[in-house]
Amino acid sequence: MSSLLKRYDFIIKIDLIWLSNYVASFLLILILNFVLPRMMPGDPLHAIYGEEALIAMTPEMEAEIIKRFALDQPWHAQLLTYIIALLRGDLGYSYYYRTGVSDVILCFLPWTLLLTGLAFMISSCIGVILGIESGYRRGSKFDGFMLPIMMFLGGMPDFFIGIILLLLFGVTLGLAPLGGAMSPYAGHSGIDLVMDIAHHLMLPLITLVLVQLAPTYLLTRNAMLTTLRARFIMTAKATGLSEGDIRYKHAGRNSLLPVVTAIGIRVPNMITGALFLEIVFSYPGVGTLLNTALSARDYPLIQGVLLIVTVTVLTTNFLVDMTYTRLDPRVRYAR
Amino acid sequence: MMLEISGLVARYGEHEVLRGIDLRLEKGDSLAIIGESGAGKTTLGLAMMRLTGARLDGKLLFDGMNLLEFSEDEMRRLRGDRMAMVFQNVEDALDPVYTAEEQVCEAISAHNKWSKTRIRERARALLTAVGLDEMRYRLYPHQLSGGERQRVLIAMALANDPDLLILDEPTASLDALTKADIVELLRSATSDRISIIITHDISLASSLSKKMAVLYSGAIMEMGRTADLIRNPKHPYTRGLLRSFPSMSTTKDLQGIPGRTIPGIGGCPFHPRCTQKMEICEREVPRPVELNGRQIACHRGGIVPLLEIRDVSKKFNGFHAVSHVTLTLYEGETVALVGESGSGKTTLAKILMGLIEPDSGEILLEGERARWDAGFYRRVQMIFQNPKESISHRLNVLQAVREPLDVQKMGSEEERITSAMWALESAELPTDPEFLRRYPHQLSGGEAQRVAIARALVMHPKLLIADEPTSALDPSVQAKILRLLMDLQERMGLSILFITHDIALARKVSDRIAVMLRGSIVEEGPSGEVLREPAHWYTASLVECASICTRTVGVPAMEQ
Amino acid sequence: MHVDLWREIRSSSAGVFGMVIVAIIAGLAVSAPITAPSYRDIGPVFSPPSGEHLLGTDDLGQDIAAKLIHGARTSLMIAFGVAILSALISVIVGGSAAMLGGTYDRVCMRAVDAVMSLPSVVVMILVGAYLKPDLWLLIILISLFSWPGGARIVRSQTLSLRERLHVVAARAFGASRGYILVRHILPDLGPVLVAIMIQDARRAVLMEAGLAFLGVSDPMVVSWGRMMKQAMAFTYLDAWKWWLIPAGVLLSVTLVGFSLIAAALERAMDPRLQEDV
Ligand SMILES: Nc1ncnc2c1ncn2[C@@H]1O[C@H](COP(=O)(O)OP(=O)(O)OP(=O)(O)O)[C@@H](O)[C@H]1O
Ligand code: SF4
Ligand SMILES: [Mg+2]
Repeated sequence: MSSLLKRYDFIIKIDLIWLSNYVASFLLILILNFVLPRMMPGDPLHAIYGEEALIAMTPEMEAEIIKRFALDQPWHAQLLTYIIALLRGDLGYSYYYRTGVSDVILCFLPWTLLLTGLAFMISSCIGVILGIESGYRRGSKFDGFMLPIMMFLGGMPDFFIGIILLLLFGVTLGLAPLGGAMSPYAGHSGIDLVMDIAHHLMLPLITLVLVQLAPTYLLTRNAMLTTLRARFIMTAKATGLSEGDIRYKHAGRNSLLPVVTAIGIRVPNMITGALFLEIVFSYPGVGTLLNTALSARDYPLIQGVLLIVTVTVLTTNFLVDMTYTRLDPRVRYAR
Repeated sequence: MMLEISGLVARYGEHEVLRGIDLRLEKGDSLAIIGESGAGKTTLGLAMMRLTGARLDGKLLFDGMNLLEFSEDEMRRLRGDRMAMVFQNVEDALDPVYTAEEQVCEAISAHNKWSKTRIRERARALLTAVGLDEMRYRLYPHQLSGGERQRVLIAMALANDPDLLILDEPTASLDALTKADIVELLRSATSDRISIIITHDISLASSLSKKMAVLYSGAIMEMGRTADLIRNPKHPYTRGLLRSFPSMSTTKDLQGIPGRTIPGIGGCPFHPRCTQKMEICEREVPRPVELNGRQIACHRGGIVPLLEIRDVSKKFNGFHAVSHVTLTLYEGETVALVGESGSGKTTLAKILMGLIEPDSGEILLEGERARWDAGFYRRVQMIFQNPKESISHRLNVLQAVREPLDVQKMGSEEERITSAMWALESAELPTDPEFLRRYPHQLSGGEAQRVAIARALVMHPKLLIADEPTSALDPSVQAKILRLLMDLQERMGLSILFITHDIALARKVSDRIAVMLRGSIVEEGPSGEVLREPAHWYTASLVECASICTRTVGVPAMEQ
Repeated sequence: MHVDLWREIRSSSAGVFGMVIVAIIAGLAVSAPITAPSYRDIGPVFSPPSGEHLLGTDDLGQDIAAKLIHGARTSLMIAFGVAILSALISVIVGGSAAMLGGTYDRVCMRAVDAVMSLPSVVVMILVGAYLKPDLWLLIILISLFSWPGGARIVRSQTLSLRERLHVVAARAFGASRGYILVRHILPDLGPVLVAIMIQDARRAVLMEAGLAFLGVSDPMVVSWGRMMKQAMAFTYLDAWKWWLIPAGVLLSVTLVGFSLIAAALERAMDPRLQEDV
């Protein structure tokens, strides 16, 4: 009993160390958000909101913001207000949209989550399967066909793939809409609505899947090559297991481990990729929001986006870590 | 049920890893395959399962079916069901993400359409049978010890009660006690089917197998009954292999086989390393020949007798100095002739060297009657107890060493000097002019004996008769001279008749021991055996005395 | 690790292809002052390709081909700068963490993990939006986000090198940590470092283009990403064919070139990947 307790104790400790990792990343962003504007010359209000914003603001609004964020106070008081505001979910005021930053982001976030979530699942499944097949049959025609394509695809910049697809299917062939997440004022509902959304989602999704496919594929393939050399593959063959069992249950399952770890590292990459593609396809997600904020120089909005994206990335990473411990008994029990 | 392999060849590209294996095994047979690393043992095992990446040719009949003609799917149905293999116990022989029980279940379900519970029951029964603790069924491989993992692997192999069980290094990297446990388990697992044990551990092979095959460079060099083969190896390679393996039954210091495997050569694969090769060995592959249950692939029929002493007697004034002595010395081995002083050892040596005429009996050198002519002395040389006296005090080192060449008028002046230099180097002596000009009285005892050895070596003899070569030397020098003789034997395939009264010394240097008492040989056999179980009371008393002496004198490290 | 990098890259066709690509782009970049001296000259806007303007002119009436050549210059300068700076930080952090160990090591690795799990492009967008970086600041910024991966590799390599016999031997006769690092470990790190630098270079080119595509860049610097951003606004004109596409293709080709070299290097250093051809 006591040994059992000890083990849990140990696991908790490790999890804390892990968590501290996420906390550190998060703090880094907070500090950046807080310090960066205040490092700029001029008074905080000017630095945080920028010239363009202030032109658009009335003096009352300025006063309200100064009060809300204690901008006329010394920095520690500012920090305290900043944190308290954050805890309330107050990310500041977007002069461009004339409303709170969090509200704006919440409008745009679901589309990004839809896009990345789907792309993530589809690209992971296809990438892993192609990688397993290619690695298992290395040197075959299939492998010789996939490998160069994937290496090429993996080398391309994501937004350019998007541009090409947009120009091809959207502009030239007219098969896909040029922007948006659904047709405005069409009043679709039910199945029509779903189809409409799918129609708009198609091109960005395909692009994102294509972009994300290559790294998953290459990594799975490499992992397969390594796993196939392991002795237990020989054991499985000598046991007379079927090809499929050897390929998926043993080689594939073990090759998944490094792939899952690497997914964690790839999540930031993937979300940024999605942001860029949203801009290319004018898809109303966080990326487009970011682009708007950038051209409008709406600094609080940029900060808010950064914070949300970071939180999303860290959460995903955490989930991936959790999955990993489920997948690999060596990590599950060795601790 | 029968496994019949004939002319099995495995190739990786041009490289032949197996070159024509012939084997025939029946139910109940257990065959050990031994050989150096890279000999192709694993490849042979995998070939039987059709799991090697090499290209296979020849015949592989299992129960009358030629497996080489089977489709992959037909093979798959055989593997794990009628034939199974246990791989070397390496960290990743089991899949790290499944529990022990799951993996055994999988091995069962791969060939049976049983219900889940029935499969699990069988798996548990198997795991119990291999002695895995019940607490550990649900553990993952990394949580199991090396021995436990090996048990799981064995359980998986036995899952469907295979007819053919192949074990590849089943106990490598296990500690001695675990190993003993596993060997016990394997002994019961291998009975009642055909089992093949691949290993370079000869003690494992001898405890698990009835038959043994020695593989070298993809060819079977020798095959026979295990105990027989170990006790009396007939192929030069087998002897070399046994000599380099430490075991409790051999006592001689470890020796190696000179050189290393050279892949892809023609003729007998062993010829670059063989010390008794003839010209034909480089040209033709020797066919395996069976004689009295022993199969040997050698153009010379195995290790050849070098010197045969047949029923030799000598009387001095009515006193039997040597009476009816029969002894055979094989190429490349050391026979120690042990006996107290006056037992006739030196007389026998002198007869061998042609210094004394025997009254009766004959002596054969390489199958021909010894004529004690120039040809004889080129092949047989002697070193004496007292080196300084055996070298004329008027000759310096160089002159002494080249003397035999001068006597035999062999080679030009330059060639004689080159040979002398080589001999000196072989005897680990300096070759600078200062040393070459020294005279016997300027040499230490050890140096003098080395000069004597160099002189004996200079004509590349095949047999060295060493009469108490070290008894006049202090122990440390003595050890070095013995080491030198062993090294020379390893390098040049020299046979040595080592005459001594010291059975403890004989034990460390000889392959066989012959014990002499009052002119007759009363006992003869492999050194380990003679010492462990002396058959004659006199040998027993010698052994007894030697161990008492060492104990009272307190010489350390003469372990028995 | 004794790898003859040059030979390994040449022995793989992908590697050779990558080298050729990067060499061509580098040739373009170096030749810019000669082949495209007048890229800032202004003429008629949106003129289609002609003898005078190989790829026509853009919305400002500047020669697109000339701007593309100068874009290569920007990309490769960034690539080169980031590769050196980022690898330097990787070696310093990774090497010292491995050599010193203990708490320092743990802190360093925490920092590595923390930076690695940040969405670096978005962070750079924010920082870039405030600081409006020029080329040099951009190099520094990108490097600040590129080093962790390399540091991790350098650390593990150093740890394993540290246990190699010749290093242990040097320690056994009392060599200092600095001496061991400089004399034994850095030289052996060579191949790994080259691989890290190629990866960093690739990422730097992509990041610069991405940031410029979003408008976070020095307007005075010609950049493929910026050209693409500008061209995107005119997709209703035919101009994208000789404006947007060539810029994108050049960028892609450069990135693919680096990727191919990196893949060849990875293969060279992992014998397990070598068996397949
Ligand atoms: N995949 C392969 N490709 C090319 N050659 C190989 C391959 N596998 C084995 N060989 C060669 O086949 C020969 C025999 O190898 P094998 O593994 O059968 O030896 P072994 O007797 O089992 O050695 P060990 O005692 O070290 O296990 C060796 O020369 C080896 O180099
Ligand atoms: S004597 Fe010839 S055939 Fe016999 S082992 Fe030696 S080399 Fe081979
Ligand atoms: Mg082997």
